Amino acid sequence: MSTEIVEMHLKLLFDLDNLLNDMDEPAYKKIGFKVEEKEKQSLIKTRTDLLKKLPRATADIYERLKKRYQRAIAPVDNGFCFGCFQRLPIQLLARSEEIITCPNCGRILYWRKK
Amino acid sequence: MNLASLLSKDRIILSLKPGKKNKVIEDLVYTIKQGADAELIVSTLLKREELGSTGIGKAIAIPHCRSLAVDKLEIAVGRTTKPIKFNAIDKKPVSLIFLIIAPPQDPGNQYLITLGKIVQIAKELIKKKLIGKAQTPEEFITLIDQVEKGLKKGK
Ligand SMILES: [Zn+2]
Repeated sequence: MSTEIVEMHLKLLFDLDNLLNDMDEPAYKKIGFKVEEKEKQSLIKTRTDLLKKLPRATADIYERLKKRYQRAIAPVDNGFCFGCFQRLPIQLLARSEEIITCPNCGRILYWRKK
Repeated sequence: MNLASLLSKDRIILSLKPGKKNKVIEDLVYTIKQGADAELIVSTLLKREELGSTGIGKAIAIPHCRSLAVDKLEIAVGRTTKPIKFNAIDKKPVSLIFLIIAPPQDPGNQYLITLGKIVQIAKELIKKKLIGKAQTPEEFITLIDQVEKGLKKGK
C-alpha cells in the first residue's frame, strides 16, 4: 500500500474518532444538536472498516496509541510534536517509513501541508 | 473571544449558488482549504451530517467537525440565493450556513464554546428576522457583532 493511501486512511480514521469522541462530550450534548444512536453505531462500523484497510502493524500502533492518549496522531508544528510539546530531531524528516512516530511520546506524527 | 473577530470577509459568501447539500458544504470548505485537506474536511463533515442533520431549523444549518487538516479554528458562512434541502430538524429548507472546523488539539475547548455561541447567535438572527439583512460580508460581520453584543447585554 502506498504511503499516501495509508496517510489518507489514517487521517480520516483520526477525524472520525475525534467526531465520535465529541458526540459523547457533555459540553457538546448541551449545545443540542441531533445525534441518532443508530447512525453512531454505523459510524463506529465505518471506522472499524477503515482500520482494517490499514497495514496490520499500523492499525495496531494506532489502536494502542488511541487507548493510551485518546488522540493517536499529533500534528507537527514548528518542529515540535503537538502531543508532548518536545522538539523533534531534524533527522526525523529524512525518514521514509509509512508512519513516523514521536521519539518522545510515541504518537504518530503528522506534518501539515503549508 | 467574540464570534465576529473569527469571521473573515473572504469566507463569507452571501450569494452562494444553491445546490445539493454536499456541494454547498464543499463550496464553503474550499474557501478555507483546498486539495486533499479540503477533501478530508468534506468527508468528515458529511459523516457528521449522517449522524443527524446540523440544520437547526428555521433556515439555518451549522455543519461542524474537528479535522487534522486545520491548525486553528476556521469559520465560513454561506447564504444561498435560494433555500436548499438540508434534511433539517424542522424539515424546512436552509439558506444560511455557518460552517466551523476545529483542530483536533484545542486548548480551552474553544471549539465547543464557539459552536455553542454560533447556535445562540443563529437563534437570535431567526428571532429578529435578520437572516436576509446583510448585503455585503462587511455588513454581515457588523450584524453578527451587534447581535453578539446585544446577547451579552441581555444577560
Ligand atoms: Zn511527542
